[in-house]
Amino acid sequence: MNAIEAFLASGIRFTTPILLAGLGCLATRWTRDLNVGLEGVMLFGAFFGVVCGYRFESAAVAIVLTSALGAVAGLVFGILVATLRANAFVVGTALNVLAAGATVYLLRTWFGVKGSFGDERIPSLPAVRWGVIGDIPLIGPVLSGQSPLTYLSWLLVAGMAWAVRHTVIVRHLKAGGEHPEALRAAGGNVMRTRIIAQVWCFTLCALAGVQLSLGQLTLFTEGMTSGLGFVALAAVIFCRGNVLLLAVMSVAFGFSSALSVRLNTAVMAPQFAQMLPYAVALVGLIVLSRRSRTADTRILTPSQEN
Amino acid sequence: MTTLETKPTALPHRLALLARPVGRTGFAVLTGALLAMGLIALQGYAPMPTMLAGLRYALGDAVAVSRTLAWGLPLLVTALGVAFAFRAGMFNIGAEGQLYVGAMAAAIVGAYIGPLFAGLHLLLCLAAAALTGGAVAAGLGWLRAHWGVDEVLSTLLSNYLLVLLCTYLANGPLRDPTRQSGSTREVHDSAMFPVIVDQTQLTAGLYVVAALVLATWWLSERSIAGYRWRMTGSSPGFAAAMGIDIARARVTSMAVSGALCGLGGSLLVTCSQGRFWTEIGTGIGWDAVLLALVGRSRPIGVLAWAGVYCVLRASARGVEQVTGIPSELSSVLIAVIIVAAVARSGAIGLITDWARRWRAVREKQQ
Repeated sequence: MNAIEAFLASGIRFTTPILLAGLGCLATRWTRDLNVGLEGVMLFGAFFGVVCGYRFESAAVAIVLTSALGAVAGLVFGILVATLRANAFVVGTALNVLAAGATVYLLRTWFGVKGSFGDERIPSLPAVRWGVIGDIPLIGPVLSGQSPLTYLSWLLVAGMAWAVRHTVIVRHLKAGGEHPEALRAAGGNVMRTRIIAQVWCFTLCALAGVQLSLGQLTLFTEGMTSGLGFVALAAVIFCRGNVLLLAVMSVAFGFSSALSVRLNTAVMAPQFAQMLPYAVALVGLIVLSRRSRTADTRILTPSQEN
Repeated sequence: MTTLETKPTALPHRLALLARPVGRTGFAVLTGALLAMGLIALQGYAPMPTMLAGLRYALGDAVAVSRTLAWGLPLLVTALGVAFAFRAGMFNIGAEGQLYVGAMAAAIVGAYIGPLFAGLHLLLCLAAAALTGGAVAAGLGWLRAHWGVDEVLSTLLSNYLLVLLCTYLANGPLRDPTRQSGSTREVHDSAMFPVIVDQTQLTAGLYVVAALVLATWWLSERSIAGYRWRMTGSSPGFAAAMGIDIARARVTSMAVSGALCGLGGSLLVTCSQGRFWTEIGTGIGWDAVLLALVGRSRPIGVLAWAGVYCVLRASARGVEQVTGIPSELSSVLIAVIIVAAVARSGAIGLITDWARRWRAVREKQQ
């Protein structure tokens, strides 16, 4: 595997958590309850992925349990936002603070360690190899040898792109955000729709976290998401509800993350390299705002009253 | 004349006005206390004595109070800054980044200029911090006002860029060669606030913060400029129709907000740390955003919540010392308290709704 192939493969690897979190968040964008707590959910996902993996010594169990936990948390969040009418921005921000504190708290009380937790018993996600495909030059390492969650994320892209055109549920989600009265008149349940969007979002974000802690590494470190959730949030805001555009944005951010890790320190100080995905997102935001005359990019509206 | 007539009724009316926020805060604090007791009990300690020990550590004597207060000063100033922009409808959630550049600016001026007269040097440090923080925020505010770049996302992303920039400076060109890594040179003594309570880090910075709180309150709630900013925040269309330059209001309110966040960062350096290091203010910016949100962007609300959070945090430190329960307990509690605070009215509405429906069903049956 030469350098270019290695870079492409790692680019796809870095894309996975961004894409998974973005696909989850997209549903909450449709219902206009944009979840800004992606970062926190991913951190929780990464933590519980390691905890479940350590406890049961199986990556499959870790994936299933963590996504189930994510779904339950999403249910709670959905009820808070939809039924109890708590502002999604406030609760999402609180969630980020909670995740940063709670993972450290639990790390210290359950395992008695500070900083990071790694153990031989923690399984890593297996690399799925597809026989001959892996030997194709250039694209072989991209298509083969990735973690199962990577394949899942791309299946979800296809599935969601299909669902947008052909299913009622996506139409309900969009109506729940754009025109709740219409949805109600059509016999839909707005509350339930909004809660479903949050459950979906949390489940996928939890998986994104598992990909971080078990797919790319096999350990948990404090604050290991380091802004990846916000990058995913930026991708969701840029894509304007379009699934394929979201995938393109995620790949762009994923590759700039991969580049930032691979850049030699002789070329650039590591801190500048780490800035890459955020700089790409910021420049993208400015360009996008310059080019659009609508106020479409502004969808985060933290309200003061509740 | 009318004031004389209304005066007797004014006091109870004012008390009634005060009762609501106090009730709200009381509910949230109660939730937090119950959760804290639950978590402490889960760890196998007696809840009440442990919590009291924590509170004693936070507020037990003059030294404890000063310690709690000293820790809270930078957070308070930063939270006021965030709230200030919120009032003008600018959701500046880049407090973390602005705090970092402020701290860095103060550390540079403190270490590389001088030593000067104590007062002058301090003033220069604070001014440098306010200018850098303000410039960053004003730039992002300009992008929002003139190019329509959503400031929520741009300030959010700027956090990572600015913190990484400061990390680079502290590890690269400005690194103190005598230290391991990640910290700048120590500032001159003339750039440090004098300590006013022995054995603590409570410094004369307290007076500066008190002045800043008053000034912010006046500027935001009582001045003409503040009125323009608030009107821009609550109804930009109306403000524009009334002849207010809303683009200018947006940029200036962001500038003031960023300046306050930068000042918050400079207090970290000039009151306690004496130098910039890479973890100097981790999380303070986010805490400040939370406080501004839950304090509904009013200076007094932010002050009250900042007080609650400081006591909570100091108590968690105390609890950690007597029991070994991690002090991150305070982050967990504040997050839950805030969620409880924002979900409260919805929950009450839901319960009264159920009660009404239940009553209606019963009446039908009879």
